[in-house]
Amino acid sequence: MAMLSFERKYRVRGGTLLGGDLFDFWVGPFYVGFFGITTIFFAVVGTALLLYGAALGNTWNLWQISVAPPDLKYGLGLAPLKEGGLWQLITVCAIGAFGSWALREVEISRKLGIGFHVPVAFSVAIFAYVTLVVIRPVLLGAWGHGFPYGILSHLDWVSNVGYQYLHFHYNPAHMIAVSLFFTTTFALALHGSLILSSTNPAPGETVKTPEHEDTFFRDIIGYSVGTLGIHRLGLFLALSAGFFSAVCIVISGPFWTRGWPEWWGWWLRLPIWS
Amino acid sequence: MPEYQNLFTQVRVEAPSYPGVPLERERDNRERLGSGPHIQLFALLGNAQIGPVYLGFLGIASIIFFTLGFTLIGWNMLVQVNYSPIEFIRQLFWLSLDPPSPKYGLSFPPMNEGGWWMLSGLFITMSILLWWVRTYRRAVALGMGTHVAWAFAAAIWLYLVLGFIRPLLMGSWSEAVPFGIFSHLDWTTAFSLRYGNLFYNPFHMLSIVFLYGSVLLFAMHGATILAVSRYGGEREIEQIYDRGTASERAALFWRWTMGFNATMESIHRWAWWFAVLTCITGGIGILLTGTVVDNWYLWGVKHGVAPAYPEIWGPVPDPAAGR
Amino acid sequence: MNFKTKILSGLPALAALVLLVGCERLPMDTAQIGYRGTGMEQVTNPRIVAAEAPKHVAPAPLDPVDAGGPRARDVYQNVQVLGDLGIGEFNRLMVAMTQWIAPNESCGYCHNLANLADDSVYTKKTARRMLEMTWQINSAWKSHVGDTGVTCYTCHRGQAVPAERWFADPPTKTAGRMLGNDNGQNKAGKASVVNSSLPFDPFTPFLLGSQEIRVTAKTALPTGHDVPIQQAEWTHGLMMHMSDGLGVGCVHCHNSRAFAEWNQSPPARITAWHGIRMVRDLNNQFMLPLTAGQPKNRLGPTGDIAKVNCATCHQGVNKPLNGTSMVKAHPELMAAPKPAAKTSLLPAALIESAPTVR
Repeated sequence: MAMLSFERKYRVRGGTLLGGDLFDFWVGPFYVGFFGITTIFFAVVGTALLLYGAALGNTWNLWQISVAPPDLKYGLGLAPLKEGGLWQLITVCAIGAFGSWALREVEISRKLGIGFHVPVAFSVAIFAYVTLVVIRPVLLGAWGHGFPYGILSHLDWVSNVGYQYLHFHYNPAHMIAVSLFFTTTFALALHGSLILSSTNPAPGETVKTPEHEDTFFRDIIGYSVGTLGIHRLGLFLALSAGFFSAVCIVISGPFWTRGWPEWWGWWLRLPIWS
Repeated sequence: MPEYQNLFTQVRVEAPSYPGVPLERERDNRERLGSGPHIQLFALLGNAQIGPVYLGFLGIASIIFFTLGFTLIGWNMLVQVNYSPIEFIRQLFWLSLDPPSPKYGLSFPPMNEGGWWMLSGLFITMSILLWWVRTYRRAVALGMGTHVAWAFAAAIWLYLVLGFIRPLLMGSWSEAVPFGIFSHLDWTTAFSLRYGNLFYNPFHMLSIVFLYGSVLLFAMHGATILAVSRYGGEREIEQIYDRGTASERAALFWRWTMGFNATMESIHRWAWWFAVLTCITGGIGILLTGTVVDNWYLWGVKHGVAPAYPEIWGPVPDPAAGR
Repeated sequence: MNFKTKILSGLPALAALVLLVGCERLPMDTAQIGYRGTGMEQVTNPRIVAAEAPKHVAPAPLDPVDAGGPRARDVYQNVQVLGDLGIGEFNRLMVAMTQWIAPNESCGYCHNLANLADDSVYTKKTARRMLEMTWQINSAWKSHVGDTGVTCYTCHRGQAVPAERWFADPPTKTAGRMLGNDNGQNKAGKASVVNSSLPFDPFTPFLLGSQEIRVTAKTALPTGHDVPIQQAEWTHGLMMHMSDGLGVGCVHCHNSRAFAEWNQSPPARITAWHGIRMVRDLNNQFMLPLTAGQPKNRLGPTGDIAKVNCATCHQGVNKPLNGTSMVKAHPELMAAPKPAAKTSLLPAALIESAPTVR
């Protein structure tokens, strides 16, 4: 059921990391696996806790629901459930769920005989999340430094943490990360366009070849990275964007407490021209 | 790690430069300027070949206009540091060519009070539009679809909204973005400060969703193709019209992971739309700001979107109220 | 992995390391300002705080003196504003002022030593006006300085000219040229706006003039409130100075999700609001009128006198001198001495006892 026309031959035994044959099956289109079980566990518990946290709050409005981390005064300890402890448990569930998802992707990759690039890439995103809710709070000495779980409230957090540094746009790692975000989106637009323009050519034309793709970009900008290269480039840009985002927030506070424009003073004061 | 991950090319083959698919008109083929070097550093990631590049009237005109605009910006900056090249480099990130003061409205200001900004802006805009036609024409000349041009059009929409359309609607060129590294960041913050926190602008939210989504998608797609590159996954065109085991495994990876999947072609449509919608919704969000909505936080409060936090200090009345 | 590959894959980490080199180190102190999860916090570096702590220590007060005795005006000549002080208090204040403003130059910095009463040295007239300014701050501006108050030391810190003050900028050379107008901003290294490229003189319009600082609309939909974006940059520039002058981030006074809304702001914002008005009052009522009496070396490049901004008193901490109240040891600085029916400042009940006024 729910199988693609070519799928049956791929549904083979094996590739699991843990549990052997016990969880090696599918539910509909979803592969389960041991880590599918742990994912469901963490996701269900985490969601239930989120719902409980929402119920403790003053609204069921989707935009306004917020489950906040503890006060800073609780430091790195466990806070009372209704005073931020819930947030802590949800964070544990989130990390458990994300980690489980990544390991499940590893199992699926092994079963399909493909590379592990996807779970590795996902791990960079998990790293960025863990930086925000674990690494930076630990460095600053309190779980309360994490961001609240709420659609608008997490934006308020971003705004306030940013303005602590007077003008967050001057954060050099933030500048690099933003540039990487825009460049990745630009490259994605180009790549998506290129493939579509080759396989959906002008009316009456035949489908084009990679030589056409290379020629198009060489005509326009004098260089074409090629079919393999663009995927390496895209992956590299995207993961670097995530990495530098994590860097830009972990340095704000633990490794810099003044306004970010002030950081640029070292450049102005270089002995070569001061 | 013992297994090769296909991240960098281990054996880099040197071959003669490929001159490009021949164009229909012989004079077009002559527009291609010869091949440059093969850069081995690039060969680690992709093709080593640099060039040939198609010159063409549009390309040359675009480069001329761009150079004019770029030079005017740079010249203004150079004068700001009294022509000192050392100070130019030292102060570069702070230097800027600013749009006119609000008092000039939509009229053309004196050259040194925004006139140069307008002229540079005009030249750069013309360069961009000429380049757009170039991307369109090169695709048509090769018999390819014009998807690149239309994606570029979305970005041009955002650019024009920021520098032309919105200032026009607001009745003042002063609303536009300055040409400068830190100064355009100051503009961004000032825009958000003036209009009550842009995070509460729903089109800003959408644009960010598509921006982050694009990065997510490229990570996913890039990783997926690399993961099936051992089956020739990067040969996407062929995989699209003749599905091979690479596309099948790639699709099944995502189907088994998240319950649904794209195809080798449709993933590129997801990619195209996410990237293009980033600019389209972003442009709409900018355009609505100041024209239709004056304070996005208050708009959010009005539409039940702003969370309420418990008050931890007493009432803080506005001292100016009633004065 | 070959060497080249190793290098390339290590580049992001290297870039991150380079960024860290220009930074500070752990551990840090943190303080929560707003409700949990709003991100309204202050992170401070205890090593920086410790290094700057000596700057914010108030000198030990002089021993107290008897408030009784003859009035200063009856003993000395040309005592125009301090006449109603007891002679002991008067002399004590003079010693204190010398310590606070001109510890090396001593009495001669303001007085003609051959005739202490004469006003020939310009600093004496300036100091007289500054005394009136101190009384103004401590009595009319309790909304900002509370009961902590200020003394000469709060600004001067043992220097004739306070370390933190501002002058108007000379017009840039390029302003009259064909090209290169910097638009009053876009300059590197301007401490006034903490090294950003925002307008670098927010003081003239907002701390000397009374230009409107608020830029945000009061309604969601437009009502003709035509404030341009460039105006917001000026306000941002002022706010950068205020933050830097007090050593705090924006969230000390604001919830940045709604900067303008008072119902979202911490109480410190009210104090800051009064502070701005106070600075305007001081600059216009006291500093500007003193311009004519200053020698050239005390004037700025455009011939204006040094003026007050937030950093003048605060000097990088939220409460000047970390909240030490120096006026408690100098109650005569709380307000202009009022001539009593009797020639004494003290209530009748205390005159007979031995006063230990602190």
